[in-house]
Amino acid sequence: MATAVVARPVARPQARARDEEVLVWPDLVFIEFIAAMVFTLTLFLLAFLINAPLLDQANADVTPNPSKAPWYLLNLQELLLHMNAAMAGVIIPTIWLVILGAFPYFDREQDGQGEWFGTEGAVKITIAAGLVGFLGCWALILWDSGKLAFFMHDWFGISGGDSLRFLADVRSFQTQLPWPDWSKEITYLPFNLKLLSSDAPGGPTQFQHLDFPGWIVEQGIPIAVMVGLPCIMIYTMWRIGWVQTRRDAVLALFSGFIGAYGVLTLVGTAFRGQGQELVFPWELKVSEGIPGQEAGGH
Amino acid sequence: MAVEQPTRPTIADKIYDKMFHNYLWKSIFRTGYPNTPRNQMLVVATNVFLHLHPTRIHRTHVKITHTYCLGGLSFFMFLGLTITGILLMFYYVPSVDRAYLDIQNIQTNVQFGQLMRNMHRWMAHAMVILVFMHMMRVFYTGAYKPPREFNWVVGVILLVLTFLLSFTGYLLPWDQLAFWAITVGTNIAGSAPVLGPKSRFWLLGGLQVGPDALIRFYTLHVIGLPLLAAIFMAVHFWRIRRDGGLARPL
Ligand code: HEM
Repeated sequence: MATAVVARPVARPQARARDEEVLVWPDLVFIEFIAAMVFTLTLFLLAFLINAPLLDQANADVTPNPSKAPWYLLNLQELLLHMNAAMAGVIIPTIWLVILGAFPYFDREQDGQGEWFGTEGAVKITIAAGLVGFLGCWALILWDSGKLAFFMHDWFGISGGDSLRFLADVRSFQTQLPWPDWSKEITYLPFNLKLLSSDAPGGPTQFQHLDFPGWIVEQGIPIAVMVGLPCIMIYTMWRIGWVQTRRDAVLALFSGFIGAYGVLTLVGTAFRGQGQELVFPWELKVSEGIPGQEAGGH
Repeated sequence: MAVEQPTRPTIADKIYDKMFHNYLWKSIFRTGYPNTPRNQMLVVATNVFLHLHPTRIHRTHVKITHTYCLGGLSFFMFLGLTITGILLMFYYVPSVDRAYLDIQNIQTNVQFGQLMRNMHRWMAHAMVILVFMHMMRVFYTGAYKPPREFNWVVGVILLVLTFLLSFTGYLLPWDQLAFWAITVGTNIAGSAPVLGPKSRFWLLGGLQVGPDALIRFYTLHVIGLPLLAAIFMAVHFWRIRRDGGLARPL
């Protein structure tokens, strides 16, 4: 018998309590039927009311501005604006999917299983971490698009002056600080740290040149933010006694992710206008043109 | 007390009798409506479509608020997309010359063509959302914990496959929206270190989105990825049973 070879005790089917059970027909089958009908009707209605979009025939010479990926990839396209392309587009999503898949191998306790927010303080952690992800992501986007500096200056009359100009957005770390020339071309051997850029020259035996300020902006700060902030959040929650088990830690991580992922998707979809400029949704418009010859900017 | 006499059969009784108690009907459905617990369990255990279910489940799991039917609805979207997708395939040819015109043709000349295209599109969006929400429900009910670790991993694979199914379908109308979305999307994939440019080339069958990309996306969209997804769904459902049904507090 198949179950006889299962070695781990946890894999045994849970003890059955017959009087706690109901029959699948009719109790479940009918619910499934109703859910399916509700969805069929809703989708029929939607399909009657709203047509699927169809623009002009594809033309490789005419680029819409902005060009956007399908909406569920706009979170990545948004990330792309803030850091090295390979990191945002491939490395981070891949690492995150692996982390996601590894959740059950990290959090193996049975607490809170099979119940909504079954552990103590789960709702609290979820809301707090979700908010941190949501607000933190908004704050970072506003900062990196220069809007934070803009608001400070135009709304509150606060200006850091020239000496703080490097804080205006992430890129300013590279452009507004007095980096010595040598730091822009650090020669090193033998590891090809430029592996991350698509135009990586030569092999590992060649001397590589690292533009350190550029690296800080495109990889250093983003990595620090994306690894550091969740760690700080979970550490803080642990210190104040909210996070006590592995389930709690995973709960905080996942909820923070949901918050940030939601903001990235939303901003990429509704707040990015021409030239991927940060705009309000009602200012969104698309123009088409031949690259370099587009009429008008923003 | 008079013994109740059988009443004369009404017209409705006669029609019912003719419809359901004839040779043809009984050749399809061997039993009548299962109105005893024994028959209800039998029908779930022996019917090919229902036997994915156990015959009885725990009380808490039929509460709508436990699953919100999200996994089931994801699967339902998959089925609906298969049906509407097959209907669209009757009219659509994945060549650069024809694709766009075929879509226009479906919308204007084919009976219910616009409706089918709309359904297919909105169901595709719905499936992405439903699968994501299903993942959230599994997470927040702590249902990924042992012994369901592997089924969670299968789920993550299904999530990726759902994204890919939607992404490959996005190119097929061959309009500006499709073309540039896929250009942007594959550029993202192409930025990966070492393997990026290669995998982009492999996906597009060339250096940019063109005829080769269209046929590749089409093939992946209508057979490659659905087949993979169906296999992983089969494993997913089988594992739910093997892991002792849905998770519940110990
Ligand atoms: C095409 C995509 C998917 C389909 C059709 C699907 C279908 C289902 C169905 C029908 C169930 C039964 C309970 C329910 O409806 O909630 C289920 C349970 C489950 N699913 Fe999915 N699923 C999909 C994707 C995912 C994803 C993305 C994950 C997680 C990353 C996942 C993880 C699980 C787990 C762990 C269970 C067991 C839940 C429990 O024991 O309570 N599935 N799935």
